[in-house]
Amino acid sequence: MTTQHSKNDSNEFNQKIIPFLSIIIPGSSQFLFKKNWRGFTIFIFSIISGFLIHWGYDKFNIGKVSINADVSFSWLIFPFLFFYFWNILDAFLIQRDKKSPVLLAFFSIAIILYVIGWSVTGVKLDRLITRFDDAKSVMRKLVNPDFFSTEVDGKIEICSWGCLWDYTAAKFTGAQPPEVFLSTNVGQIFGQKGTVTASSWAVLLGKATKNERIPGFETGKIIETIAIGLLATIFSTILAVPVSFLAAHNIMKRIPGGSIVYYISRTILNIVRAIDTIVWGLIIIVWVGLGSFAGVIALTIHSIAALGKLFSEEIEHIDSGPVEAIEATGGNFYHIVRYAVIPQVIPSFLSYTLLRWDINMRSATVIGFVAGGGIGFFVLETIRMGGYQQYAAALWAIAVVIIVVDYISSKWRFNILKDQPKTAAEIPAWKKIRNVIYVIIGIIVFLYAWEIAKIDLTKLFDPGPTFGRLLKDFVSVDLTGKVIDNVVRELIITIMQAFLATTLGGVLAIPFSFLAAKNLTGKNKFSAWIFYIVRSTFNVLRSIEALLYVAIFVYWVGIGPFAGMLALSVTTFALLGKLFSEAIENIEPGSIEAVNATGANKLQAIVYSIVPQIVPPFLSYLIYQWDINIRMATIIGFAGGGGIGLMLSTFFGSLQYHKAGTVILAIVIVIAIMDFSSAKIREKFV
Amino acid sequence: MLKIENLCKTYPNGTQALNGVSFEVEEGEFLAVIGLSGSGKSTLLRCINRLIEPTSGNIIWNGDDITAATGKEIRNIRRQIGMIFQQFNLVKRSSVNINVLSGRLGYVSTLPSLFHIFSKEDHERVKKTLEMVGLADKIDVRADSLSGGQQQRVGIARALMQEPKMILADEPVASLDPVLAHSILKYLEKLNKEYGMTVICSLHFLDLVHRYATRAIALNEGLLVFEGMPQEIDDAMFKHIYGKEAERIEII
Ligand SMILES: Nc1ncnc2c1ncn2[C@@H]1O[C@H](COP(=O)(O)OP(=O)(O)OP(=O)(O)O)[C@@H](O)[C@H]1O
Ligand SMILES: [Mg+2]
Repeated sequence: MTTQHSKNDSNEFNQKIIPFLSIIIPGSSQFLFKKNWRGFTIFIFSIISGFLIHWGYDKFNIGKVSINADVSFSWLIFPFLFFYFWNILDAFLIQRDKKSPVLLAFFSIAIILYVIGWSVTGVKLDRLITRFDDAKSVMRKLVNPDFFSTEVDGKIEICSWGCLWDYTAAKFTGAQPPEVFLSTNVGQIFGQKGTVTASSWAVLLGKATKNERIPGFETGKIIETIAIGLLATIFSTILAVPVSFLAAHNIMKRIPGGSIVYYISRTILNIVRAIDTIVWGLIIIVWVGLGSFAGVIALTIHSIAALGKLFSEEIEHIDSGPVEAIEATGGNFYHIVRYAVIPQVIPSFLSYTLLRWDINMRSATVIGFVAGGGIGFFVLETIRMGGYQQYAAALWAIAVVIIVVDYISSKWRFNILKDQPKTAAEIPAWKKIRNVIYVIIGIIVFLYAWEIAKIDLTKLFDPGPTFGRLLKDFVSVDLTGKVIDNVVRELIITIMQAFLATTLGGVLAIPFSFLAAKNLTGKNKFSAWIFYIVRSTFNVLRSIEALLYVAIFVYWVGIGPFAGMLALSVTTFALLGKLFSEAIENIEPGSIEAVNATGANKLQAIVYSIVPQIVPPFLSYLIYQWDINIRMATIIGFAGGGGIGLMLSTFFGSLQYHKAGTVILAIVIVIAIMDFSSAKIREKFV
Repeated sequence: MLKIENLCKTYPNGTQALNGVSFEVEEGEFLAVIGLSGSGKSTLLRCINRLIEPTSGNIIWNGDDITAATGKEIRNIRRQIGMIFQQFNLVKRSSVNINVLSGRLGYVSTLPSLFHIFSKEDHERVKKTLEMVGLADKIDVRADSLSGGQQQRVGIARALMQEPKMILADEPVASLDPVLAHSILKYLEKLNKEYGMTVICSLHFLDLVHRYATRAIALNEGLLVFEGMPQEIDDAMFKHIYGKEAERIEII
């Protein structure tokens, strides 16, 4: 009896004491009150914002307020203190079974993050206005791409829409306008007659000697890009299959020592995946030199890791029944894999491969920025020479290719996942013939791609002169204070770029997503037009990688993180716009009807029936986009978008590989932490 | 003869699924295993062909100690024991032909079988067994295009490909409707009566036990609570096995 009593007493006493702990460690009392998430979030955010305020003030004088010559501080400590007191109040309210409004805390943290993000990414909104003329001129060039040429006074000039219009008009009236023809720019993008290095087939057949220049068809840069993406997908799929078995726990636990292999493979896959394709490109060119071959390898390495992970998860999720059955018949390990595992995973493997093909095609358009092959390289060159109309033509070509690839890939994926069992026992003869033709076409395409991507496996065994040093320096990363300092600065800039771009793009996407939802617009002729225009804008913008947009913003607001952030916002806007509008299309039609039936108007219907249904998917897409943006932000610097990417390319360019190693290590760590936390957040809220 | 001595199984999470079970099965018997859900029936059957490692105890089959067998030996034992599952455990996307052929895997060399290459005799055997279960015309269709009863017959055909001396059936009819249940159990009865295979079969319905089994054992929370003739399970025994609240229900 007495013990019971004293226990209750001490409990009560504890309950009284706990809220005070928040004064010392923010979030700790929430934690002790079993509100783990709340407590942990408060704790983390106070540390992060505290650090950022101090760091920003120290390095960039962010928010500096001087009282006199000696005393100055950052005004950002006010929102910080507000958050701190909110946390204490919250602790006391929880003790009384109440909660203080989260929105207040949210705003104070948002102020801190935005002010710091704003400063470090060099946001200068005034430039958007003052340099609007630059924007106009670059826009004019973008909508007038260099596709056609004409001859004016003996000189060849670009013939864009206006000129084409005059030409056709003149033709109709029967006049003799100066001839219009496809420009050399189109030739460079799609292919033209010229001189080429003799193909290995020609050499094999004795028609030419090695490296001889012969007249032939110069492959266009976009064709080269397609070849890079295709080959990388084929190679990585072939290599990812065995790797995925090594990284599947249910398979590896069947063989002695397999669990160790499993953990090692999973770790390697995660590290390789955290390093972006573009960064792999930087490493690979040291190994095999510049060119499309380097691009293929870079894409392949990253894809093996990405596919390996997806494949292995697929293997882990198979139905274990057939495995048991094959084991019961006396089959061995190989039998189990061949008869119970492989048949089950084939459709999902194929569908992931198609998805990866789409992703690889997008990466192939930008890998040229560092690896020197494909359309990315061409874009880099045209921008360097100020040829924005040529650049525009390349963007349009890329958009068309990617939209087509996206369409094919998703259509095939849809068909595969339907996976209808064939009930007809016999395959008709025409189908057999068709399949044979497909195989032949496939082989020809593969060989052709091999040729134009200049695949040269011997280069793998003949690494470049500094490759040995790169490997050595990577192991002994530079962890001296100054380097760390700089890396931390650039990382914060990079994270802030992603943060600003995700929120900015996301906020802009919301109103437009409503316009692009078929169940809202598209009811009558006029709104159907709006639907199609907004949707296609999303699709076109989405088909071009952020890296390719940077040039536009560099022209407009100048080189640096602000331009990079704006480029990321464009892709964010497009992808989130599309995903949001699909989420709106997926809401239950019944609920709108029910609200409408009460006599509510359109706006009320949106607020009461649509909003509650779309908040969860919107949040989940926002987190997804954040994951993408944080990766993209690490490479946006390669095109002049500032952040850690710029630093990395500088270190590579100046052969400071040990410092480059530090940067890559930092990127891997940051990506790992971000992935982990967004996975946790998703688990909790979505 | 199969002899089970003091068999125990404790799962890694601490669940004691079998708690010192001992019994014998003569060759040619049709033994029914009954008991509540979670009483350890599946665990017992899977210990017999070592799909599950027993924690302790012995399983002696025709003089061989199954519990002591390793690697190749265990696979040789397994191929003489056919197994039939509640969920059929067919590879849904593979053809009936491949599913049935996979019953031969314990006999063939690895490399050719990885490319689906089997001997002519094996292909003949597939035809014969499929004829026996009445599915000769379905040889080339995908397993998932068959009905539940047909899939279970493919499961039986796969087990028969092993030319087993004994068949373990883990609730082979629990996913099927009563009419199909009888048709499947009749196949097992035929194998038992005509070919002299020993059948050990876990069942949920007592009238099926009465109708097909030659002997029965009952488990309750991992303990053997009954061993005897099916007819001996009267209402009192039934309550002893299944608990006081249980009611007998009949199916056609
Ligand atoms: N892999 C496992 N890990 C942990 N416990 C398990 C595992 N498999 C089964 N069990 C537990 O062991 C006990 C016996 O399970 P078992 O599957 O053998 O029962 P059962 O009689 O076949 O039941 P049912 O009629 O539902 O199939 C149950 O309590 C079950 O929860
Ligand atoms: Mg069971």
